[in-house]
Amino acid sequence: MVSLPDYAELHCLSNFTFLRGASRPEELVERAQALGYAALAITDECSVAGAVRAHVAARQSGLKLIIGTEIRLDDGLKLVLLATSRRGYGSLCTLITRGRMRSAKGHYQLARYDLEDGLSDCLVLLVPGNRPDPEDARYVAERFPGRAWIAVELLCGPNDRARLAALREIGAHSGLPLVATGDVHMHVRSRRPLQDTLAAIRLGIPVHKAGHALYPNAERHLRLRARLAQVYPPELVVETISIAGRCDFSLESLRYEYPDEIVPPGHTPASHLRSLTETGLLRRFPCGTPKHVRNLVEHELALIAELGYEHFFLTVYDIVQYARSQGILCQGRGSAANSAVCYALGITEVDPARMSVLFERFISRERNEPPDIDVDFEHQRREQVIQYIYRKYGRDRAALAATVITYRPRSALRDVGKALGLELSQLDRLAKSMNWWDGRRVLPERLREGGFAPDSPVIERLIRLVNDLVGFPRHLSQHVGGFVISRGPLSHLVPVENAAMPERSVIQWDKDDLDALGLLKVDVLALGMLSAIRRCLGLVERYRGGALTMQTILDRGDDATVYEMIRRADTIGVFQIESRAQMSMLPRLKPREFYDLVIEVAIVRPGPIQGGMVHPYLRRRQGLEPVTYPSEAVKKVLSRTLGVPIFQEQVMELAVVAAGFTPGEADNLRRSMAAWRRKGGLEHFYSRLIGGMLGRGYTREFAEQIYQQILGFGEYGFPESHSVSFALLAYVSAWLKHHEPAAFLAAMLNSQPLGFYSSSQLVQDARRHGVEMLPVDVTASDWECTLEPSDDWSPVTVHRSRLSSPAVRLGLLVIKGLSQAGAERVVAARLQSPYINVEDLVRRAGLDRRDLRSLAAAGALARLAGHRHLAHWQAAGVEAPPRLLSEAPMRESAPHLSTPTEGEELIADYGSLGLTLGRHPLALLRRRLARMRLATASELNRLANGRPARTAGLVTCRQRPSTAKGVVFVTLEDETGYVNVVVWRDLVEKQRRELLGSSLLGVEGEIQREGEVVHLVAHRLTDHTRLLGQLAAQSRDFH
Amino acid sequence: MLWLALHFPALALDACTRGAHAPLPIVIASSPGNNAVVLACNHFAQRRGVRSGMPLAAACALSSELVVRARDVAAERAALERVASWALQFTPAVSIAQPAEVLLEAGGSLKLFGGLNRLCVRLENGLAELGYGFVLACAPTPFAAQLFARAGLPARIRHRDALRASLGRLTLDIFDLPHESATLLRAIGARTFDDCMRLPRDGMARRLGQEFLDTLDRALGRIPDPRPKFVPPTGFVAALMLPAPVHEAGQLLFAARRLLAELCGFLSATGNGAQRLAFALAHEDRAETRLTLDLAAATRDLEHLISVLRERLECLALPCPATAITLKSELLLPVASRNLSLLPDSREHAEAVGRLVERLRARLSAGAVRGLDTATDHRPERAWQICEPGNERSAQEAHTLARPLWLLASPKPLKEIEAMPHYEGPLALLAGPERIESGWWDGDDIVRDYFIARNPAHALLWVYRERRHDGGWYLHGFFA
Repeated sequence: MVSLPDYAELHCLSNFTFLRGASRPEELVERAQALGYAALAITDECSVAGAVRAHVAARQSGLKLIIGTEIRLDDGLKLVLLATSRRGYGSLCTLITRGRMRSAKGHYQLARYDLEDGLSDCLVLLVPGNRPDPEDARYVAERFPGRAWIAVELLCGPNDRARLAALREIGAHSGLPLVATGDVHMHVRSRRPLQDTLAAIRLGIPVHKAGHALYPNAERHLRLRARLAQVYPPELVVETISIAGRCDFSLESLRYEYPDEIVPPGHTPASHLRSLTETGLLRRFPCGTPKHVRNLVEHELALIAELGYEHFFLTVYDIVQYARSQGILCQGRGSAANSAVCYALGITEVDPARMSVLFERFISRERNEPPDIDVDFEHQRREQVIQYIYRKYGRDRAALAATVITYRPRSALRDVGKALGLELSQLDRLAKSMNWWDGRRVLPERLREGGFAPDSPVIERLIRLVNDLVGFPRHLSQHVGGFVISRGPLSHLVPVENAAMPERSVIQWDKDDLDALGLLKVDVLALGMLSAIRRCLGLVERYRGGALTMQTILDRGDDATVYEMIRRADTIGVFQIESRAQMSMLPRLKPREFYDLVIEVAIVRPGPIQGGMVHPYLRRRQGLEPVTYPSEAVKKVLSRTLGVPIFQEQVMELAVVAAGFTPGEADNLRRSMAAWRRKGGLEHFYSRLIGGMLGRGYTREFAEQIYQQILGFGEYGFPESHSVSFALLAYVSAWLKHHEPAAFLAAMLNSQPLGFYSSSQLVQDARRHGVEMLPVDVTASDWECTLEPSDDWSPVTVHRSRLSSPAVRLGLLVIKGLSQAGAERVVAARLQSPYINVEDLVRRAGLDRRDLRSLAAAGALARLAGHRHLAHWQAAGVEAPPRLLSEAPMRESAPHLSTPTEGEELIADYGSLGLTLGRHPLALLRRRLARMRLATASELNRLANGRPARTAGLVTCRQRPSTAKGVVFVTLEDETGYVNVVVWRDLVEKQRRELLGSSLLGVEGEIQREGEVVHLVAHRLTDHTRLLGQLAAQSRDFH
Repeated sequence: MLWLALHFPALALDACTRGAHAPLPIVIASSPGNNAVVLACNHFAQRRGVRSGMPLAAACALSSELVVRARDVAAERAALERVASWALQFTPAVSIAQPAEVLLEAGGSLKLFGGLNRLCVRLENGLAELGYGFVLACAPTPFAAQLFARAGLPARIRHRDALRASLGRLTLDIFDLPHESATLLRAIGARTFDDCMRLPRDGMARRLGQEFLDTLDRALGRIPDPRPKFVPPTGFVAALMLPAPVHEAGQLLFAARRLLAELCGFLSATGNGAQRLAFALAHEDRAETRLTLDLAAATRDLEHLISVLRERLECLALPCPATAITLKSELLLPVASRNLSLLPDSREHAEAVGRLVERLRARLSAGAVRGLDTATDHRPERAWQICEPGNERSAQEAHTLARPLWLLASPKPLKEIEAMPHYEGPLALLAGPERIESGWWDGDDIVRDYFIARNPAHALLWVYRERRHDGGWYLHGFFA
């Protein structure tokens, strides 16, 4: 038997060459290993986005991986570049960066002059086109002497023999040696249909029309070595090995270097961090640091020093410090954020003196995980922080991590369907049958529901291809806020490219990649609630005087009245616990102290719901089920959550104490948990986990349950360390809502869009709580909503007492179509002197027609012009540009315009403001609804369990949680409150039209009451939208 | 002056549905894109909850059976022009008002047609035959007639005195006002013509412009409102989309009747008859099927034309479902006269090739005369295609592949002796393998290695080895 030749594949694209490569990097590595290749180069087109995945796979399997890239210059010259060293890798990344940064997102552009610096430490393969050009060979030979080859790709074309001969001749003339390469696009030949489909998608034509744009055969796969020996002359095969031998670079050798400038001269990173921490402790604990906090600090600082993470904490501190100096509210979360050091540095408000349980898990040396700190900033001002980072470190040293946007079933279906030539309407129908949710695969049942035969050949092909394509990367997008900052130019570490947003750049790796290489990033995230809280604190301070901060609220300790409000589920607008699901949980969970909120925040999430943790926890909490633990070790992990794992950390600890994982393995498990939905690959943990637990004497039932919980956690597992930070904001916002409802409403309105509820719903809720509202008015409103003393309060005589409750004056910002600049001129000119009429307003505020019309539509001119019809008439009569003051006022005959009806006012209010201070629309219809025997929300919510009921209300929200098996939850609003409607799947299918198409929905059904929680289970739906006439009620569909 | 206005409220829909009586829920979308909205829908769609104005995606969510067509403005415009051509038989003064009205000045025609009511009945019957939904209104000014028709009021107002009162109740949304004016009028609570008439004229002029006052005055006939006369085209071409593909030729008669009715109206308006009718049936992904009716004499007799067509359709086999039908009338002749010239003129000369094909087809049946063309497909069997004669791609695409001129209709299995293929003796493989693996998408996937081979008789053959199934050898073509 002839021995197989050694071979290294040097030209291989993964699916990170979007819409060309048809195999994942991992698949390529595994296959190359299985075929006994000596090495594999991943050479994605002007990209290393797939390199880390390949690297991780190669590290596991022991295959030698070469990092390279394929580039096509603007004159058509096609090269494969391979890195031989760290330096070569750096010049590769620099070249890619250059090509990418001068093009729009997703494209690149390179020319011969870009190769002029010689690409030190890179090897170059010339990939000749259909008609090889000797000139190209000569150019490459001269430019890269001694390190360039002609890549010979014999792929069973029309005449391989002639091609080989031609390339040999060119090689002889130019002096370039020849090497065998495979132009690999897929790991096995059976990926041909997918590869053809990708090509068709790329070209935007159906595959049956793609013709010669498709490859004629499937030879572009990782071929058997025996086959290669038949195709290539031996010397060309041997050459691959000598080239691979010259490549001595591994991503393992990348080291991340933090910027220097955050340590002032005369300090070491450690001494600087120490002094900042001490200063912070003095501020936090003016009466002396408690002993256990002092111990924690020492423990943490020692650990930080040991692992060399000072720079990381200093970088985060620097950013937070900047935000604070600008008055931008921010809050850190994550395991490392909940530390005494971070508390001292002001990165978090979670006080170690009160929340001991968390601080044990700071960072552990065993887990070898990079420290995790996400910092949330006010959403409207995060951009300022980002610009600060760019300014401080420069665009060449700071960039965002990428997010790999992958094919989802729906997008895959659409693209594959188009490529298979299915009709637009058919595709829509198909996509609809995948409506809203579904896991990561296309299920035949879904197709059958949509009226497609899953076993017809076309549909069969479609399903197969879609399932192959799901999870494939489509393009790189920017991570929400993960910054990578380096000491030198970032482009030596990883290529940087343009993001879709102007002035943003992203690196080619995502957070899993960074994680895998142990590179650190700082998450700069946006959180709307922080904006609202900061505004609310400011409003209260201005109205009442005195300082109010998050810390002063927290320092007052747990407020029983706030928890009472939370237990009533009176939480519209409160951070994290305002959704319908949260609201129906609150009366059952009955939070009494801060840690209850931490659990509440974490428990109503897909992870715990899918893992089946919610009901056991509730039963145990209500005392309906005994709290038991299978062992002492488990008890230690789970006692704070009554024996039910709720947080991600607990699941990992369980893996350690119950299944015998090392902390490092548990950390791998965490990463896989986060990624399995996208990549799969949790299966091999299964046997380890189950085996480990059985071996330690746990029952199989318990073991399986833990595994299911891990699966359920997947992408959605919520860590306690994040939950605590969120619970803190939940508490602060609940406190503000309870004690300062007017300020809270004003702040929420000023921070829209934010949270779960529309402005209208927030206003309705506040009014039910007795908050007085004042209309938007050019003679009184600022841009933002403000607080005014209510009633006939006189500013001179009455002291602003703590007890007086202010009214909310709607700000001009609620007016649709009004420019902020115009509105601000209105406010500024009013400060000079009050307006006497519309013309005076237009002249002094320099309003254009559009702004004026918006004001008239909003009813904001009422004090100057009368009712809306008159306001519009006057507004339209003002001539632009306004006439000079000296001219006599216009005289014209006054028209007789009808006064708008209440209904017209209502419609105009909703049209212009999105809310009304008049009666609720249903109040206007109430007599009619009563005649139709439709009850109000408040009547309905008093009914006993099992009673039949009929009601109607504005649809404010439709939700179809992925965890609810096709059930749709609808929230109806009327003038008295809300009705929570449950629509079971059968009815959803039967009355889809009414369900999805109604703005005013009538429901007949049965009351389901569990304590305070009342649902109306629908039996029949009726569309009453026509009663609303023109009134467009807004519904927010949360998918 | 007496104006008749024909308003077509569902023109976009009718243009698409009038070709067939099918109980399909049809929806006209604003565009083929993602953000399309429903512009119009028939009552089958309405029954499923579809309303015009709703997003197309929402409509599709309501029913999975919707037939969605993107709006075709050009088709609508053409439809109006054909209606106008047809209407010329009633009066010489016809005018088109885009987007959906045709106006007839009928003052002079009343006598001829026996009075207003009879004229209206004739118009109504005729339009029904063409397959359009419409509102017919009559007023002393063209604009007023349009307004009544748009409002859905079949008014018959003959005198100007009665006009003011009837106009008063019309709402402003049918006035086709500029967006700005409409918005302002709505904002000040003015909803009807009367509301406007009550506003001070000076104030209106300042806010809404003189044009708005002119609009009101035009309706009332206070200022002149000249309308351009419609000039009919010299020939007749009409296309009709079929709402659903039609499989049998016989079913096409319904749609063809609509077209022929239009043609006959056009012919009688212009005093002509047609001697040759050319129908073209469009198919998806296939050259159209052509059908020519040569008549013994020029005619505009609808029933006669239909009976001739019916006979022809009965013996026509459709190669695949038809999606649209086009009628083109060639050789229009004044019905009284006839061209007796025997000698072909120059124009005919230029069409000689076409004629030759026509004649050959007439003799040999249409299917017997075909053109040949290349196709872009890696599979040899599909690398060529039949096309309509004269439609071959003139520019030969540079084809560097070695392909035989003579390809066997189906590959012929070859004997294999000692692992070598035989065809009249053992074959020597000169070049190859050229591997072709393609075609999974239509179920005809091939996986083959092709070789150029020579047999002892020095014939150059194109052979392949099947890489699946039996792994056998096949002969696929001859080079020489």
